[in-house]
Amino acid sequence: MSLKDLISPFFVWQRAFEKPYTVGLKPIVERPGAPAYRGFHINMSDDCVGCGSCFTICQNHAIDMVKVDGLEAHGGDSGLRPRFDYGRCCWCGLCVDICTAGSLRMTNEYAWFTTNPDDFRFVAGMENKSWDGRTGGYHRHPDYHLFPPKRIEMEMLAPEESVASFTEVAKGYTEEQAKLEADRCVECGICVATCPAHMDVPDYIHSIRDGDYEKGLQLMYRTNPFPATCGRICTRRCESVCPVGIQGEPVAIRWLKRFIVDQVAEADYARILPNVEADTGKRIAIVGAGPGGLSAAYYLRLKGHAVEVFESQAQAGGMLRYGVPSYRLPDPALDKDIEHIRSLGVEIHFNHSIGRDTAFSDLLDNYDAVFVSTGLNVPSQMRIQGEDHPRVMDGLKLLDDVANGKDPQIGTSVAVIGGGNVAMDAARVSRRLGAEVTVLYRRRIEDMPADTEEIHEAQAEGCIFVTQAIPVEALNAAQSDQVTLKWGEAEMLQDPKGGRPRPVLQEERMHLDTFDTVVSAIGQGSNLDYIPTEISDQLQIKWGKFIPGDYQQMVLNKLFVGGDVANATADAISAIEDGHHAARGIHRFLDTGQRG
Amino acid sequence: MNSMLERLSKEFRVTDITERHPGLTTLTADKDVAETLLRELRDREGYTHLNFMTAIDYIERGVFTLVYMLHNYATKSTLSVHVNIDRVNAEMTSIHTLWAQAWTYQRELRELWGINFPGSPRVEEDFCLEGWEEIPPMRREFDTVEYCERTFTSREGRGTVNPREHMAEIIFPNRGGDK
Repeated sequence: MSLKDLISPFFVWQRAFEKPYTVGLKPIVERPGAPAYRGFHINMSDDCVGCGSCFTICQNHAIDMVKVDGLEAHGGDSGLRPRFDYGRCCWCGLCVDICTAGSLRMTNEYAWFTTNPDDFRFVAGMENKSWDGRTGGYHRHPDYHLFPPKRIEMEMLAPEESVASFTEVAKGYTEEQAKLEADRCVECGICVATCPAHMDVPDYIHSIRDGDYEKGLQLMYRTNPFPATCGRICTRRCESVCPVGIQGEPVAIRWLKRFIVDQVAEADYARILPNVEADTGKRIAIVGAGPGGLSAAYYLRLKGHAVEVFESQAQAGGMLRYGVPSYRLPDPALDKDIEHIRSLGVEIHFNHSIGRDTAFSDLLDNYDAVFVSTGLNVPSQMRIQGEDHPRVMDGLKLLDDVANGKDPQIGTSVAVIGGGNVAMDAARVSRRLGAEVTVLYRRRIEDMPADTEEIHEAQAEGCIFVTQAIPVEALNAAQSDQVTLKWGEAEMLQDPKGGRPRPVLQEERMHLDTFDTVVSAIGQGSNLDYIPTEISDQLQIKWGKFIPGDYQQMVLNKLFVGGDVANATADAISAIEDGHHAARGIHRFLDTGQRG
Repeated sequence: MNSMLERLSKEFRVTDITERHPGLTTLTADKDVAETLLRELRDREGYTHLNFMTAIDYIERGVFTLVYMLHNYATKSTLSVHVNIDRVNAEMTSIHTLWAQAWTYQRELRELWGINFPGSPRVEEDFCLEGWEEIPPMRREFDTVEYCERTFTSREGRGTVNPREHMAEIIFPNRGGDK
């Protein structure tokens, strides 16, 4: 050790008598954090949907999802909110980066004094904090995403190609595309509550990430025996609440479902999917081989019950077969679903009409339980003069003819009345049959009940949309094989009570247009004539629809109902859930004698 | 600047030359030319200062990307040199001979990513994780959450609710798939 080393500490002492550089004035002036400082959290609770992605991504387990007073779980929002534990937070900001709703950010506040350590555990946005309302701090850069905001585009036939044939329009994802799309899913499961069948969406999407499509198929069949069908034509309410869709496009759940089914060969289904349990000796009759009836048949058969389905048509599938055109749902896809159900030993009596070939009361007498899912198959009337004109046809008949390979003889100019999915299908089918198509709808495009995708595709395929147009009368045209439609323009009248605006006919703005065919597609009703009045009088029926109790059970203990004829939503996935739920109710009823 | 980048791309086969913003350019160099390139940049192009070194784990591609951030005080420009190295037996030539302070970064990279720099002084000594017995924590296969749960206790009163299960309980009890 040198002499310098030895005495150098003492030189420091000379500084003790100098004026210090730092100023010791109090109070110390607080300095704000840097503009993008990662300080205390703010969560815009109204925007947050409680998806829990912040909880999942937090590497320090500093976040809990907790129930909060005044917030209830409802479709699209779990009602839970993140609670932060600042004893564990490391201020990395991953929770802000992943936040699907964009509701979570960090302020540049960094000073917080309290004597109680438990205070540092708080629900951001639900407790008043001094930094509420601060604008500075860490925000996710709008161009920076942990998952891409745009979905993988589904390749579609070009409109000029699609309109020329009944080939399926959506081509399906490749494996690479499906994996990329599956990677956009944060697996929060918010969608599960909104899916009428409560499918295990995050789980089957995860199976795509793992490349385990057999597992994916098993997961789908837990809640839905029509995945090939729903993977194509589902109304996909799940996507409307997908949190990824809040700041971007929702995950393409429907296309991912289709992808899984397309990867598994039908021949492998028996090996992969559950088999029938031991015979129970119970017999169940099902009226209608649509999605509701066959879904009930599937789950009841799995439990070991003997199931017989009575179908008035020559083929199974109901509205899926006769109402949905093959360019949206090709027969092989529908058959894949139906054939698996039949392969379990579900017996279908075709061309067998209840009320005509077998009395409804016989079903109640001869079977242990009856499930009715007869759908809506009677077209609603337009209630206009000349509705019975020979050139006025209903949309269901048009679709039915085409599905059966018959030429509906619509000519080359067609007007389609209505704005629902049947109207869109009728219009697009007419285009494929070579007609010029005009769609008349009494409200605006945004009021149309049809799927927006179908509306866009119909427009792309050259259907002309005339909105706020009310049909008034069908008249004889100059040529006997044509019809002249008298229609009037409508003004939208705001509802003072805040309901949806009502179209009002403008008598002075009438038009006369001549078409080869006018197709009416303004809705459908049920036909319950097959139920004798002494039975129907005991049942709760309103506007032609059954009002079932718990587990889809009617007041007659043996009778369960479901599908379009018993629900308000009238789509395939709701019918499938009705069938599944009724099957659970029937099984429970047969097992224990309990009502729902 | 451009003529320099052109020359580099010819002589050193550097690729992916991108101007991130004025004053910051990134480029990618092969592992075997990286040391020579860095020396060239220091001695002939004025990038005399090594700001820092770090690494990024691209586990999907099976590589670590080493980042050498260099600064030229005369032109006030920063150059970020990226070098991809294999994740398996990750190893890189030491540059402590070019910038003496590099040995500290290399010791850190060895500890946190498991990248070795043979010949770098004291590279095998603990850096900040004394007594660490896990895999290097900046490797992506290191499960931070699992480690936290195993190592640290939570304060009393913690507890989380799963959103999906909570919604099932409130919105659709008795429905969905069989439990």
